[in-house]
Amino acid sequence: MRAIDFLLIILQIFLVLGLSPLIVGVIRRVKAHLQCRHGATVLQPYSDLAKLFRKEPVISTTASWIFPATPYILFSSTLAASLLVPTIIAPMPLNFAGNIIALVYLLALGTFFLMLAGLDAGSAFGGMGSSREAIVASLTEPALILSLFAVALTAGSANISAIVYKTAILQGIVLDPPPHLMALVALFIITLAETGRVPVDNPATHLELTMIHEAMILEYSGRYLALVEWAAGMKLMIFLSLLANIFAPWGIATTLSPSALGLGLLVFVGKVVGLAVVIGVFECMFAKLRLFRVTELLGAAFVLSLLALVFFYILRV
Amino acid sequence: MTIFLFLALLLAYACGMLLPLCFPSRPHIQNVIAHGSAAVAGGLGIVLGLIGLLAPEPLLWFLPSSIPLLTFSLRLDSLSAFFVLTISLVGLAVSVFASGYVREFYGRIPVSLLGFLYNGFLLSMLLVVTADNAFFFLIVWELMSLLSYFLVVSEHEKPDVRFAGLFYLIMTHVGTAFILVTFLMFYQETGSFAFEAFRSADQSLPEGLRALVFWTALIGFGAKAGIVPLHVWLPYAHPAAPSHVSALMSGVMIKTAIYGLLRVYFDFLGGPFPWWWGFVVLLVGTVSALLGVMYALMEHDLKSLLAFHSVENIGIILMGIGTGMVFYAYDMPHLAALGIIAGLYHTINHAVFKALLFMGAGSLLYATHTRNMEEYGGLLRRMPWTGLFFLIGAVSISALPPTNGFVSEWLVFQGLFLSLELPSLFLKLMLPIAAALLALTGALALACFVKAFGISFLALPRSSHARKAQEVPIPMRVGMGFLAGLCLVLGLGPAVVVPLLDRVSEPFVGISIAGRVFEMGGWTLAPVSGEFSSLSTPVLAIVLVGLTGLGWGLAYVLGGKGKTRFYKTWGCGLNVTARMEYTATGFVQPIKRVFSTIYQPTVKLETEFLEESHYFAKRRHFEFSIEPIFLEYLYHPILKFFSTLADRSRVIQGGNLSLYLAYIFVTLVFLLVIMG
Amino acid sequence: MPTLPINIGSYLVNLCSALLLLTCFAIVAQRRLMACVDLFALQSVFLAVTATLVAYLTGIHHIYLAAVLTIAIKAIILPRILKKIVRQLNVQREVSMYVNIPTGLLICGGLVILAFFITQPIVHLGFLLTQDSLAIALAIVLIGFFIMVSRLKAVTQVIGFLMIENGLFLAATAAAYGMPLIVELGIFFDVLVAGLIVGIYTHQIQEAFGSVDTSRMKALKE
Repeated sequence: MRAIDFLLIILQIFLVLGLSPLIVGVIRRVKAHLQCRHGATVLQPYSDLAKLFRKEPVISTTASWIFPATPYILFSSTLAASLLVPTIIAPMPLNFAGNIIALVYLLALGTFFLMLAGLDAGSAFGGMGSSREAIVASLTEPALILSLFAVALTAGSANISAIVYKTAILQGIVLDPPPHLMALVALFIITLAETGRVPVDNPATHLELTMIHEAMILEYSGRYLALVEWAAGMKLMIFLSLLANIFAPWGIATTLSPSALGLGLLVFVGKVVGLAVVIGVFECMFAKLRLFRVTELLGAAFVLSLLALVFFYILRV
Repeated sequence: MTIFLFLALLLAYACGMLLPLCFPSRPHIQNVIAHGSAAVAGGLGIVLGLIGLLAPEPLLWFLPSSIPLLTFSLRLDSLSAFFVLTISLVGLAVSVFASGYVREFYGRIPVSLLGFLYNGFLLSMLLVVTADNAFFFLIVWELMSLLSYFLVVSEHEKPDVRFAGLFYLIMTHVGTAFILVTFLMFYQETGSFAFEAFRSADQSLPEGLRALVFWTALIGFGAKAGIVPLHVWLPYAHPAAPSHVSALMSGVMIKTAIYGLLRVYFDFLGGPFPWWWGFVVLLVGTVSALLGVMYALMEHDLKSLLAFHSVENIGIILMGIGTGMVFYAYDMPHLAALGIIAGLYHTINHAVFKALLFMGAGSLLYATHTRNMEEYGGLLRRMPWTGLFFLIGAVSISALPPTNGFVSEWLVFQGLFLSLELPSLFLKLMLPIAAALLALTGALALACFVKAFGISFLALPRSSHARKAQEVPIPMRVGMGFLAGLCLVLGLGPAVVVPLLDRVSEPFVGISIAGRVFEMGGWTLAPVSGEFSSLSTPVLAIVLVGLTGLGWGLAYVLGGKGKTRFYKTWGCGLNVTARMEYTATGFVQPIKRVFSTIYQPTVKLETEFLEESHYFAKRRHFEFSIEPIFLEYLYHPILKFFSTLADRSRVIQGGNLSLYLAYIFVTLVFLLVIMG
Repeated sequence: MPTLPINIGSYLVNLCSALLLLTCFAIVAQRRLMACVDLFALQSVFLAVTATLVAYLTGIHHIYLAAVLTIAIKAIILPRILKKIVRQLNVQREVSMYVNIPTGLLICGGLVILAFFITQPIVHLGFLLTQDSLAIALAIVLIGFFIMVSRLKAVTQVIGFLMIENGLFLAATAAAYGMPLIVELGIFFDVLVAGLIVGIYTHQIQEAFGSVDTSRMKALKE
């Protein structure tokens, strides 16, 4: 690896860490506007994180070492996953380290520990959150792999950077409407489910009937909560980057020239903020679904991603 | 040189079998000798396996016998060596573990007998994978089955153990019968029981006979491997056995069936076989994987849960091998090799983590004397080492990076997705669907192990058993720790493992892909073409560790050192007790409901109300069960058929001695007439 | 930047047909009748766009007329009629179905795969401008049938019927670049009349059985 590769990795880490609270802020702001509330500024999540880091954390006497260790594992696995997803430049230096399956399973590593942490404090809320997350994750994970693979096959590579790069420079491939459209819709549903958005989960409530993600992390406080929240923001950013860069990679830098990087950054911020607005609007348009209706939505995502794949296998090859 | 190594191995097992018998009523000495020799033999076996894998030519040993058609010939080619290595690795760890675990049985079960059976069981498995004569193979196969049966019924005073043993005995003999038929068909064609003759006969067999051999071998070995629908004995037999034996049975014994399948399909039948063979194996694998994990989710007996996961993982192994067979049928040797390597990689991985998990379950049983997960809880604080090792096993079996389960499942995925180049439209349709179901299987396995670990080890103890639990003795921890380390090593070292496995698949597909699966000097695994996809677990591991450090540093920089307060969990004004915790049943309830089509659950809820008002319940009785579809619709009808048949034939039982003599006489005359 | 390697027109037609298929799935997954009607209207709009594109690309002008008629009848008039029925009958939701939604989705997935499978030899001949549309059209027809079979409410069954019609129209446009004008006009007239008749028929069921649940019609046997 060259020195520039390390620089790019560090740049990516800074970008993901720095930008992810903004996305959360944008979504909240959009929702506030649409609900005729004044709402906090888009920069509020940064202040929240700073405050949480300084607060004294409380750890349950019931909990084992899994509980305090989980935020760090979640943070690092999510951040590691984000290193596989191109944001402003493709290909990423760590392209070789893993393909889409590695991405999905890295995210699953964080989810696995978060579900354990939910059970660890011994309260019924945490267990409930873990149990619900288990079913949601079980249904989204396969759909995610399939939808990404449907795109991967068009690009002839399952490494995310390679997909984005090839699509960006139109090297022999372009978007292939029917399978890609199905994969896009599936991936959008998965994004809502994986990042705990309405109609699958409601990030703004602590009502036991509805919460999934919030129930799992109910016992966290202080810097642990900060890390978990930050990781949740990064996960949101990973999915938005996937949506933006796999299906519309145009504008992403494919060379290392400063102008290309600058343009890439501008375009990327524009794209993710745009998607954040879309998600905000979407959250206001729909009501949270009952847990057992969520499976219908996720079933649709699974079927669509499978169709995208089969479509490619049957009608394209 | 190797012959001496092999003889030393035999000697070690013989010591383990016989020496303890010389120390009657000294259980501790018996224990140390029996498991010490088994551990030494395991160590020797590892060396032997590695030598066999690296040897350019198969090693042969030969001992004639006076019985016609039977020769005690052994052959150590790369396939055998791989299985010798797997058995020995697990055998070593389990033997160390067992030397602690068996203390439980002092005074209850004769340890010398247990040691005899245990060593004999390990030895018979080694001989199964090295036998080079069908007759000899069947003898050691039968020996393996019987010894494991005796081990299963170690605690024969319990009725359910006796039932499990009987069930196992019947199923395994059905399998053996089919294997016998397989070999007899070869014998009929070749006139010899030597595997060498089978091997050279491959192409000369008529097509119909080859297909028949395919099916009988699949059923025969499948019954041992536990493929759906022949899996029904596993969840009974594996939990009934003492835990170190379960670890061996689940970890390695069922793998001898994988060995048998590979031996028969690729070595004996060889040649271009029809594509549907691969498809059938893939189908069986997919169904086993999915149903295995689904039933595991509903299981709250920790050892039964693990047994169902064996069904799942055998399924994943067969998916890899089935993919390889499909590619082989279409003459795509690179991809065929990839599929076989994926299957073999998962074979050794599953052996390692399943043995580890069964030993973990054994440790819990040792510490709490119950297998019911609902009575565990809070064990991580009481048994930190066992908990850590079990967690590593759970992470591995859930195929999370950077552990070994992830690498092999990743390879299976690659094989399935590379089906793009297959000419058959039908297979192009089926392989992505299989991939989808594999992804679902993986996700459900993850949920299942969150349950298994979370309910057992976290939060508050749910019973006095769990409250009083203590960490297990050091030998048990060492055994588990060895395999836990191996989980990580196998995960980080595909660069070493894959070339070794390539030596196994090379003779089958006739091509070596070791040079084509790596890029960047062995750091990156990139099967067949690095363009398509690549994986580097060492880099991922480094990144994960580095970023954990970053997270810690950030927390320190942004928050300062800060104090942490410890306080009890908020329980809405009440003190949190174990009764408020989520139970294993509650945890899987959503999954049960979503997949109710498969489970067909029956729920019984009886409520007894207070006499004063119908709004207040006095007590509630909740019961739920899932329908055992295979027992209900497949096995019971068969059983019913045979028991009616038996009823009918009872008329010949007159009870009169002369009548029985008459039967013998009539038979004799009949035979004479036929022969004449 | 190099030009798009595949024909942009064909690209857009494929995109529209994919959108048609997606709306089918949305209808299968939707319980609320009003939303089903809206989704059907949306599907018809996509259909009209597809037809317009084909008309533009092939230069066959009478397909424009078909597109306009599609908008008028299927995207405006029929949805209005259906919505009126829904409002009058005051049945907002499909509460029970013969097949639950996830299973229904899986079955539809299977149907689509079947459709791809069957049309694959034709598609691979590759002479059509609209290479995927035929496969998708067949899939839509099958899903329409499935909706008619699996749903209980008369309104959804009508939507299923109209979806079949949409699928056939797509097939005709995509594979044959439209039918003769007079046939098309006839079909539109048929659909319109069918819609009106069905409207009256649903009223009759409602009055006779007090519900638009067609499973109640079993009572007619006795």
